[in-house]
Amino acid sequence: MSEYIMQTKNLCYSYSDGTKALDDINITIKRGQTTAILGGNGAGKTTLFLNLNGVLNPSAGKVVYDGKTIEYSKKGLTALRQAVGLVFQDPDHQLFSASVYQDVSFGPLNLRLSDEIVRARVENSLKKTGIYDLKDKPTHCLSFGQKKRVAIAGVLAMEPEVLVLDEPTAGLDPKGVGEIMRLLKGMQQDLGFSVIIATHDVDIVPLYCDYVYVLDEGKVALEGSPNEVFAKAEMLRNLHLRLPRIAHLMEILRKNDDFENGDFASTISQARKEIKTWRENLRLS
Amino acid sequence: MMISIDMYAYASKLKDINPMEKLALAFITLCVCLWANSIIISLAVLLIMTWSTIYQGGIPGTVYLKLLLIPMGFLILGVLTIAIEITPQPYEFLGSIYFFNFYLGVSKAGLITATQLFFRALGAVSCLYYLSLNTPMMDVMSALRKLRCPKLLVEMMSLIYRFIFVFIATAETMIIAQSSRLGYSGILSGYRSLGTLISSIFIRSYQQADKIYTSLESRGYDGELNVLEQHKAYSLIGYLKVFGINIFLISLTAII
Repeated sequence: MSEYIMQTKNLCYSYSDGTKALDDINITIKRGQTTAILGGNGAGKTTLFLNLNGVLNPSAGKVVYDGKTIEYSKKGLTALRQAVGLVFQDPDHQLFSASVYQDVSFGPLNLRLSDEIVRARVENSLKKTGIYDLKDKPTHCLSFGQKKRVAIAGVLAMEPEVLVLDEPTAGLDPKGVGEIMRLLKGMQQDLGFSVIIATHDVDIVPLYCDYVYVLDEGKVALEGSPNEVFAKAEMLRNLHLRLPRIAHLMEILRKNDDFENGDFASTISQARKEIKTWRENLRLS
Repeated sequence: MMISIDMYAYASKLKDINPMEKLALAFITLCVCLWANSIIISLAVLLIMTWSTIYQGGIPGTVYLKLLLIPMGFLILGVLTIAIEITPQPYEFLGSIYFFNFYLGVSKAGLITATQLFFRALGAVSCLYYLSLNTPMMDVMSALRKLRCPKLLVEMMSLIYRFIFVFIATAETMIIAQSSRLGYSGILSGYRSLGTLISSIFIRSYQQADKIYTSLESRGYDGELNVLEQHKAYSLIGYLKVFGINIFLISLTAII
């Protein structure tokens, strides 16, 4: 068992019209961690994901899963698609059946499992994603957030080792964002899979992610832990991104209000700790 | 209208009954109704189906009536052409009017055929409404699958059914967006907007199909949309009811 569940080595991908979508991408995904792929629109996040799942074949370079280079044979692809589950941004692009139950059963059935096992998996993933009571509802009567959960359940039923989500929070209300992210975290703790999320919602990154890659024009522009990446504010802004609100506030306090903080803070709890220490220090001096 | 039928089917109290049972009831009764060709049988079928749909299924009576009025329009037009005969000589007419060199009239035989046809068609429609108002589309498809309907056909049906709703939602937002910019304020601009609407929906659908294919592929699609259905309780009593009703109808024809 390799320490890295997924790796890409010098991965390049060009579309048939010649656009170079990915250019020499090297990323490593640690087992059991949540990795964020940050990037503005058109940075190549979705293309990267389609390469990870073997839907697209790299033009050059390779994708490595659990220490082994992906084989693009029928057998190799089936194994890969079981291991790496892809949740698309728009659930209407993923849910093909008008029945929630049937849609969730599609993936595991393609793994040639017996009907009993598939049924058990479908029920289990419907319960895990909190939509068991929706199983009799037609897809077109669900809200966007509910459809998103069905899309996640459909992939979860394949019991992947890596769950890849394209913009999991896009189009959700603030409560929905929190719910989906907590759901993912909880399931990750239960089932121990690794998560890769593409997002431009920088506020969720310090809260839920362990490692960050920033893509720009098909290249990895920055990488590191969330705090390492968000310490490079100017660079992020050049890449059509911004700091998390809290990190931005801390930056302003530091620049304009003589605030001194030791550690970098980009979440509310980190910032609170820093501000308290600062207050203590002021009182002592 | 299609969407409201779909909505009522999911809300029906008969929703969880095995679709095969409902299919059997609707189609066998339909055949008996067509075969018997008698006003009394047709009325009995209409009554049984309406009762099942409204009382057992819980579909609002006014909705049912409105739905029944849709085929009624066509039916009345069709029946009128049968009832009214045009002949050069007056012929066993109950009443007629002279019109240039012709007689426009209604004969007793014609009137009976027309009434028979009217109620026969209405009875048949009520059978189909019983099925479509109480059975969600997905269940109809699952029954078709069990009846060994070609797989491709059922797959196409289920994809079309799913994406009709996406299609309608897209079209609706586009129409709203267009009208909010006065796209339908005049006849000319209306036609222009409709044209762009249709072409952009076509392109959208094409893109959507492409994306669906990608996402199906990522879940291991290999040319067949295999899905599992939920078990629906199978009840012998249900089938007995189907046969009971039809034997009753058939013996009714013998009595009259």
